[in-house]
Amino acid sequence: MDRVQLLLALSMALFVLGLLGVIIRRNLLVMLMCMELMLNGVNLSLVTFAQQTGTASGAVLVFLIFVVAAAEIAIAIPIVLLLVRSRRTLEADAYADLKG
Amino acid sequence: MIETLLQNLDTLLIYVFAVSALVGAALMLVLRHPMQVAMALISTMVFLGGIYGLLGVHFIAAFQVLIYVGAVMVFMVYAIMLLDVRDRSYTDRFSKLLVPGILGAVLLVAALGYGFWHAVYAPANATVSFGLQQFSVAFLNEYWLQFELTSVLLLAAVVAALAVIKGSRRNRG
Amino acid sequence: MTHLLTLIVVLPLAGFLLNGMLGNRLGNRFVTVVGCGLPVVSFLIAIRCLADLLGGGSVPLVETAYTWTRVAGRSFDIAFYFDRLSAVMTLIVTGVGSLIHVYSTGYMKEDKSYARFFAYLNLFLFFMLSLVLGRSLLVLFVGWEGVGLASYLLIGFWFEDPVNARAGKKAFVTNRIGDAGFLLGMFLLYWAFGTLDMDKINAAFTSGAAPVVSASLAGILLFIGATGKSAQIPLHVWLPDAMAGPTPVSALIHAATMVTAGVYLVARMSGLYLQAPEASQVITVIGALTAFFAATVAVAQTDIKKVLAYSTVSQLGFMFVALGVGAYGVAIFHLYTHAFFKACLFLGAGSVIHALGGEQDIRKMGGLAKRIPITFVTFAIATAAIAGIPPLAGFFSKDEILWFAFGSSRGGSPWLWAVAAATALLTAFYMFRLLWLTFLGASRMAPETEHHVHESPWSMTSILIVLAALSAVGGFFDVPHFLISLPPLPTPREELHHFELPLLGISIVIALTGLAGAAFFFGRGGARADAVRPRLATLHRLLSGKYFVDEAYDLVIARPLYWISERVFLRLGDRVLIDGSLHGLARLAQRTAGALSRVQTGNLHLYAFLVLLGSIACLVWSFRHG
Repeated sequence: MDRVQLLLALSMALFVLGLLGVIIRRNLLVMLMCMELMLNGVNLSLVTFAQQTGTASGAVLVFLIFVVAAAEIAIAIPIVLLLVRSRRTLEADAYADLKG
Repeated sequence: MIETLLQNLDTLLIYVFAVSALVGAALMLVLRHPMQVAMALISTMVFLGGIYGLLGVHFIAAFQVLIYVGAVMVFMVYAIMLLDVRDRSYTDRFSKLLVPGILGAVLLVAALGYGFWHAVYAPANATVSFGLQQFSVAFLNEYWLQFELTSVLLLAAVVAALAVIKGSRRNRG
Repeated sequence: MTHLLTLIVVLPLAGFLLNGMLGNRLGNRFVTVVGCGLPVVSFLIAIRCLADLLGGGSVPLVETAYTWTRVAGRSFDIAFYFDRLSAVMTLIVTGVGSLIHVYSTGYMKEDKSYARFFAYLNLFLFFMLSLVLGRSLLVLFVGWEGVGLASYLLIGFWFEDPVNARAGKKAFVTNRIGDAGFLLGMFLLYWAFGTLDMDKINAAFTSGAAPVVSASLAGILLFIGATGKSAQIPLHVWLPDAMAGPTPVSALIHAATMVTAGVYLVARMSGLYLQAPEASQVITVIGALTAFFAATVAVAQTDIKKVLAYSTVSQLGFMFVALGVGAYGVAIFHLYTHAFFKACLFLGAGSVIHALGGEQDIRKMGGLAKRIPITFVTFAIATAAIAGIPPLAGFFSKDEILWFAFGSSRGGSPWLWAVAAATALLTAFYMFRLLWLTFLGASRMAPETEHHVHESPWSMTSILIVLAALSAVGGFFDVPHFLISLPPLPTPREELHHFELPLLGISIVIALTGLAGAAFFFGRGGARADAVRPRLATLHRLLSGKYFVDEAYDLVIARPLYWISERVFLRLGDRVLIDGSLHGLARLAQRTAGALSRVQTGNLHLYAFLVLLGSIACLVWSFRHG
């Protein structure tokens, strides 16, 4: 397996593990971290392709993903903090208010 | 033997880093305490940064460590330290959808693998390492709109964070 | 002057509008002048038109008033046609109509809806005139429907009593059933000839250049309409109930004019009926049956107006018998004499009712001859006329009908004559019964009624005198030979010629026998009749119950229709099918929404899992398609 194939397989594996983690784990913070893992998997595949073709567009997109991930976490964690303050639990099942 | 090792050092290192990142990711799913999960994620990210460095895109490796590990994960660690994590999600860490999830993941891997298998790749030796200068020029020439939009996005994030603090302060009284 | 015919038709319409809109405000005198004056003017114009017609060699006058529409290259006009037949009909309608209008000024004087009454009467005249003057079947049909409407309005004139309103409804609905046949006949004729102008259709049939269309079918369909309008079996049931209206209405509409519209229609379409022997046979049979059965029912009726109503049905049957055997002119002759004596009889009955303050049961009358003499004398003359006593008008027309029933080459037979003669005997019998029980013998009135008995005012009695005079001398005008526009009277077969005089004699004998029989049974207050009645109890019940036709219709037609309406259409069709399907659709939507909303559990893990499944599906799809 050459380098590109390895890296692509790794990025796919990271993505699948991230998605699986969102489905499996109960803890809200762990779910957030698994979503970060998914983003990292995508970043890896983007960098691989950018380096393959030599265009800089892939790198630009990677940088934008960095920015968006940072902004997202900057908002998501305070939201989680506020939610937890009222419900006093970190499990995702307690936040099923949008049922129906 | 050490010569062959030294000649193919980067390939070997890439393999090592890749396996380590995968192990870190797998550990994330299994560890109980969120702090442990955070540590596993940090390790994965650092190994990914290493991979980026080995690929030649050093600035992206720098960004990976700086932004992801240095900002995002630090913030996450702060949050974990703030909250009391020993509730039901600690004792009973897997949700109801454990088995369906794993099966679905296997299916997804199969689908992706099928695509992976039948894909056509460019020759592996095309390693063009482009530098920061090329990146910046592209960023500010072709992608200047996205550049502006990111600044707007960050501004929005700051405003939202402020609003959250203000709101929580008002609730607290 | 042009447009005289249009003027004849339109003047009563103007009367309707004026009286209808302004009558209540401007008072009874205005209503009387307009309501009676305009029909009189129409009558005078009609005489002028007759003079024009005769002066011009009897070429029919044709006036096109208005082109209603043009469709596919053919135009539908509102046109009027005046030949000798129209002349006779128009003069009867406007003449007798005007007389009855004048009578109504006396009869309805105290009624609070005086203006409305005259408005409706003028409306009726308008429609009747457009019926008799119309050139095409379309204009005739407009008039046909319109007189049905006017009849409904006038029968139910005192609508606060639901019985009257029901009678009006019954008349209208029964007429409509006949009109369905009329319409089908019209469609058939239009499809065959491309025009509805009656003169053109008659000409086409006579010349034999007609396209292939069954004349009998069209004839029978038109006759179905005539059955409804002229109260023949099986659609005769509305006429006795129509007596709920004011008596002048009964006289005008249900004796002299509207009910004769069917006779006029068949006579006008004589060109068609000459080519339609089956249809003519049907007309003869129904006419004879109706005449006979109505006469039997009239024998046992106890309401003065009901006797006259059944008498009208019976006399109309006579007219149809004449039409059926091809003697169209004779039928019109009988129509003409019948208008005089039947109007006189009805108005006389109205005078009696007015004198007795509302009493209509002849068992509670009697002894009126000396107290209301003018009414009595005119009523007696009209009774003699209808019974066929010479030389009064009815004798001439009825004898002609009997003669042609016997000897016409187009359907006459001894059997037909026998039925007609039996009917004539019954006619004389029940009419003189009516005369005796109402006017003669000792008084059987209730004491309060007896106090009020008074002769009617001059506005009513003058009309009675005029009509009685006409009943007496009207027969001397030879109408059948005047109507040259109609087909010539069927010449009897050779060997039957020598029967003519004997049959004439027998007609006179029949009339006198009826007179004698009635005097015998019903003289002295009907004592002998009361003695005989218990022995004929079943027959009497059958006759006074008018053969229970209404009850039969209710049982066979009305109740099943109600049942179907209630059970099938309401419960099954409307509630189960229509409402059910709509409710079912709504419930389906609700259940589907309920089932689909179960996806939204609020559980984040489930949502992520669904994302996973969705992405697998997208990947698979993209691999297969691209």
